[in-house]
Amino acid sequence: MKNLDLKGSYEKLLKLRAMKNFQAITHTLGGILFGSSKVTPGAPHILDFLEIKRFMSAAVIALVPSTAAAIYFFGLQAVSIIVVSYVAGGIVEVLFALSRKKEIEEGFLVTGLIFALTLPPSTPLWVVAIGVIFGTIFGKELFGGTGRNIFNPALVGRLFITISFPQIMTMSWSVPFADAVTSATPLVVYKSSQAMPQVLDSLLGLTAGSMGETFRIGIILGGLFLIFSRITNWRIPIIYLATVAAFSWVGNIFVPAKIAPPVFQLLSGGLLFGAMFMATDPVTSPYTKGGKVAFGILTGAFTVLIRAFSGFTEGVMFSIVLMNGFTPLIDHIAISSKYKTGKR
Amino acid sequence: MIVRGRRFKGGYRFKHFEGEPKDTLVEAGVPEEVVIPLKQGFGYEVPSVVKKGDTVKAGQIIGIDENSVSTPVQATINGTVKELKKIKYIDGTTNSVVIKSDGTTDWQTVDHEGEWSRLSEEALERRLYMSGVTSLGRSGIPTRYRSSVIGPGEVEHIVVQGLSTDVHNTSFSVLLDGEGVDRFLEGLKILKRVMPKAAVHVTFDKSRMSLVKLINEKLTGQDGINIYPLELKYPQELDEVIVPTILNARYPYGYLPAHMGVIVLNVQAVLRVYDAVAGNKPMIERVIALRGPGFTENQYATVRVGSPLQSMKGWIKDERSLRFVVDNLLTGFSCTDSSLPIGRSFNSIIAIPEQVSGGFLSFAAPGFTKDSYSRTFVSSFVGFKKKVNTNIHGEERPCIFCGYCEDVCPVGITPHLIYHNVERNKIEEKLAIYRIFNCIDCNLCTYVCPSKIQIASYIKEGKKKLRDSGLDESTVIFPNFHLKGIQKSIDTDKGTAK
Repeated sequence: MKNLDLKGSYEKLLKLRAMKNFQAITHTLGGILFGSSKVTPGAPHILDFLEIKRFMSAAVIALVPSTAAAIYFFGLQAVSIIVVSYVAGGIVEVLFALSRKKEIEEGFLVTGLIFALTLPPSTPLWVVAIGVIFGTIFGKELFGGTGRNIFNPALVGRLFITISFPQIMTMSWSVPFADAVTSATPLVVYKSSQAMPQVLDSLLGLTAGSMGETFRIGIILGGLFLIFSRITNWRIPIIYLATVAAFSWVGNIFVPAKIAPPVFQLLSGGLLFGAMFMATDPVTSPYTKGGKVAFGILTGAFTVLIRAFSGFTEGVMFSIVLMNGFTPLIDHIAISSKYKTGKR
Repeated sequence: MIVRGRRFKGGYRFKHFEGEPKDTLVEAGVPEEVVIPLKQGFGYEVPSVVKKGDTVKAGQIIGIDENSVSTPVQATINGTVKELKKIKYIDGTTNSVVIKSDGTTDWQTVDHEGEWSRLSEEALERRLYMSGVTSLGRSGIPTRYRSSVIGPGEVEHIVVQGLSTDVHNTSFSVLLDGEGVDRFLEGLKILKRVMPKAAVHVTFDKSRMSLVKLINEKLTGQDGINIYPLELKYPQELDEVIVPTILNARYPYGYLPAHMGVIVLNVQAVLRVYDAVAGNKPMIERVIALRGPGFTENQYATVRVGSPLQSMKGWIKDERSLRFVVDNLLTGFSCTDSSLPIGRSFNSIIAIPEQVSGGFLSFAAPGFTKDSYSRTFVSSFVGFKKKVNTNIHGEERPCIFCGYCEDVCPVGITPHLIYHNVERNKIEEKLAIYRIFNCIDCNLCTYVCPSKIQIASYIKEGKKKLRDSGLDESTVIFPNFHLKGIQKSIDTDKGTAK
């Protein structure tokens, strides 16, 4: 009964004339608080209890270990980066929803957090804001919103600030519990001296890197949760990681100076984080099974190549964005080979 | 012979729901009044042969048309014809006969001849036809009386469905208790005599191996009857899924199983065949499973055909907040008022709450009793009985390509791909290449969609628009099969093969 009253007074509030222009917000809020009041129009008479709000919440839950680790390692700085990312990006979302007169889309819950976790811990907050605003507008909203975007919005924002502010984005790393703010990441170190950190340090997050990418045990747990709960399909992350391992194993035999060995590859940079949380974004990766396999293999190959032979060490980010661009083509090929004319 | 390991790709297992019927059978008795639709089960509507004021006996034929593909319709209670009226029924309107009961419970036999094993084939088929049994199954039971689209000599396989894969596991084991098994096997024998060329395939729930073994023992020595223990995965019970699964054959989507020489019946239909032929009993009653939380007691009830739902009032909780669905929560039609008459092909009535309110912060609840294809609710890990209602559980959102619809599709098409094309009004030949006509309307894609998109409705709309533009099953599916009983003209001799 208490719920009903609450709902009743909420609906009264909505009837106020002043609220008319804010229906995008009020409807969204109503949906979050009170659920849907619609019933099925006919067969099927029942529907699955999973909704997009829960779908996206599950992805956020999978990011909890990484987020908690980031806050544990970098404290207030991490919290403020996450808050700025959510607030700045959230404002953009709300403005677009208001102008489109549609409800606010839940996908931003994940985008806002993923973006923050890919940043170096000492990123200035104004850069965070610029990145997330750019990513949301040019990575998603201009394409028409969730479901229509080609590139992962978090990566678009990250890429934009990496290229716009290279000094800030590549020089200001820090190792947890150490005061050395300008320490280079293991990938950069390997480029110059082929030195590698301890495996255990990499797993526990005691190496330099972006906020959310270093506590790798947590990332693995989150990724397994996503696969097990069927929020993401196993194909992309597993094949992506397997390709990196296989390709770097072969590569390391022939060009050890450039291509690092598999274990180091897997446990450095944003590979695990990208494979589990970014390459798997269902909207920007292939939906066909064959396409997922191709996407995993190609992303893996590009990651190793970019890490080894380009000036950047952000192989994961570049290869995922690159392959996002190829996604429609991959799906097109997969679909036309599945549905060949004349084949039943 | 027991044949194991038959399965199909896709589908979804509904497990452990509140409202599954327990194995008790009760009598609903003779209602005050029945409404008997003149189109029930397979076949065209038949004209009535009684008029207002006539006295009728249960079992007496009140509608018959020997010239169309149809089966006669019988009175199901003793009494007088109150009126003839048009009613809304299933997905159209039909004429019906309303009979007022005189309170007696007896019935008249189908005909006067004796012991069935001494009957001629013609007399056997006549009993099946005149009793009303031949209207069962999606394409009827073929006899020389034109009760199906093909003749009995054209039937190559009879598939008997002994399982149900809908939300509430409805085993109908009450039907096979004790001597039920023997009557069932006799029923199969009768069907084999009518359709001598047919091999018989019986499917049962894999978890009921004792029944499978019992039947297998009793069958010793009989050739041509196979038993298949199967997993309870929806939509196994649809003809388009079970037939290719059992026979390892491609299915001509959009056509009846009879068109490929296959007749699909359920356990109850086989028992009715036995009753009609061996017991000389017309099809005046039906065993209905009462499923779902809307009933005070979930069990099976023997009901006279044509009894209105409201005659079961004593078993219904609060009618106003319930939705009644016939046979299947994913594909069945629902009735808005309780005057709906029970048809002779019904298997169950499901009553579920019409849930208008969503619940406070429902998306974040742990979900001890919520069902989902994903494993994001506690219900995936603990064994609480799951609950269903008609709420859509969320708001409609754009497709995020999660791929669930493709994963569960039992015919291996890509539902969201077709949805995107239809939604953008791209109705082209491409849809046929995407095998839109293979869709069997099982509605599982709509069920699992987290964005609450009515995918199956869009596919239906796409099919309709394609047909309007001149592209349909006859050009896409038909040329790839040798189908029976399609070009056959109305004037060919009754029951004889081409």
